[in-house]
Amino acid sequence: MSILKPKIICVTGGKGGTGKTLVAVNLATIFKNHGKKVLLIDGDVENPNTYLLLGAKLKSLANVEFFIPKINNEKCSMCGLCAENCLSHALLKVKDIPPIPMLNLCSGCKLCYKICPDNAIEKDSKIIGTLYESEKNEIKLMLGELKPSEARSAVIVKSLMQHLDRIIKNPNVMPDVVIIDTAPGAHCDVEELIQKADIVIPVTEPTRFGLLDLTRIIELITLLNKEYRAIVNRASLPGYKEEFSLELKRRDIEILGEIPLSQEVVESYCQGTPLMEDPSGIYTSSDAYHAFNQIYDNLLKWSDIQK
Amino acid sequence: MVVIAIPSASSGGLSDKMDARFGRCQSFTFVTINKDQIKEVKTVPNPAKDEMGGAGILASQTVYNEGANEVIVGFLGPNAINSLKSLNMKVFQAPNNNLPIREVVDMHMNGKLSIIDAANVGRHHGGRGGGGGYGRGGL
Repeated sequence: MSILKPKIICVTGGKGGTGKTLVAVNLATIFKNHGKKVLLIDGDVENPNTYLLLGAKLKSLANVEFFIPKINNEKCSMCGLCAENCLSHALLKVKDIPPIPMLNLCSGCKLCYKICPDNAIEKDSKIIGTLYESEKNEIKLMLGELKPSEARSAVIVKSLMQHLDRIIKNPNVMPDVVIIDTAPGAHCDVEELIQKADIVIPVTEPTRFGLLDLTRIIELITLLNKEYRAIVNRASLPGYKEEFSLELKRRDIEILGEIPLSQEVVESYCQGTPLMEDPSGIYTSSDAYHAFNQIYDNLLKWSDIQK
Repeated sequence: MVVIAIPSASSGGLSDKMDARFGRCQSFTFVTINKDQIKEVKTVPNPAKDEMGGAGILASQTVYNEGANEVIVGFLGPNAINSLKSLNMKVFQAPNNNLPIREVVDMHMNGKLSIIDAANVGRHHGGRGGGGGYGRGGL
């Protein structure tokens, strides 16, 4: 029995504003145009905004909860074991008073809950974020959102990936292709998403910032043993392009394709309709449209996704 | 009778200077006042001074457990004020940060210090750099 599994493509890039979402949304659209079932995941849980570029409306899927300790004062013998062992010092414990939780410091490790000899610490929870789903133009979208001022974005990312696992295991809803759009940076939220992918596409631009951040994200991708090819967005930006291309060559960074700086890209971006959706056919003759199709062809050749 | 805790710059006592930091001061000086008279002075080292995080909470525990019901501070972070408020301690603001402790106590006895009930610096203010990092890690 063969195990069917969707191809998971992670679009990332280190630098902010390089066009990760632009690439993710347009790739999703091209796959859909070719009859594939596509699931797009926005993994930038601090600023999820992929749905805007897709022109989709969000529907709440699940709240993400986070453990907080609740002290049962009647059971508490005030031994202080919980506070002594709390590495985050999130339990204020003074003589003759049960511990007072300082919730903004709590890491959610549950150690206090596990070691309390009186079973006086109960599991409580707070909502730190929400998962949403949506669908637009036959592209399914899933995203997670961390509440502003909450710190544990990794918990939202993990919850998002658990939902993905459930979808992948269910043959009735299993997509052909999953495209994950990450946050900028090379931190552990991005790492978690890259880890999930079969192939990785870092998006960059021909600037000094673009090169620096590309090399950082590639370092992470390489650490995770994933195959990658870069997309150069705003490829026609003048000034640094030649040097940039030489640097990529020198570092053996393979290019999946280039997207020129173009009026059409900006226009579709501002309108919130993917360029490759192009319902009225006004973009089909543009350079950017050809560029995306070229990237798609290259992607099929590189990966083993069936046409 | 009130017992005031004052963050101290070295080993504490009336002739020591105040430490501007609360959570990470070297020691605390405890001054017991009864009918406008200093009755007792004791010093306690601050076990929280080198903690990575949560120093304000540990320091609050110390001043409470050592019997203080009022605290005079220079800088005070968010964890410290939350802890001190949870413990119903009165917190007074010293006019500047390196006065001799004897002078600060005199000012307090003359009613010249005002109560504060909000942090006046951000978290990890008095640390030695690094430390902080509310990052994406965890779980």
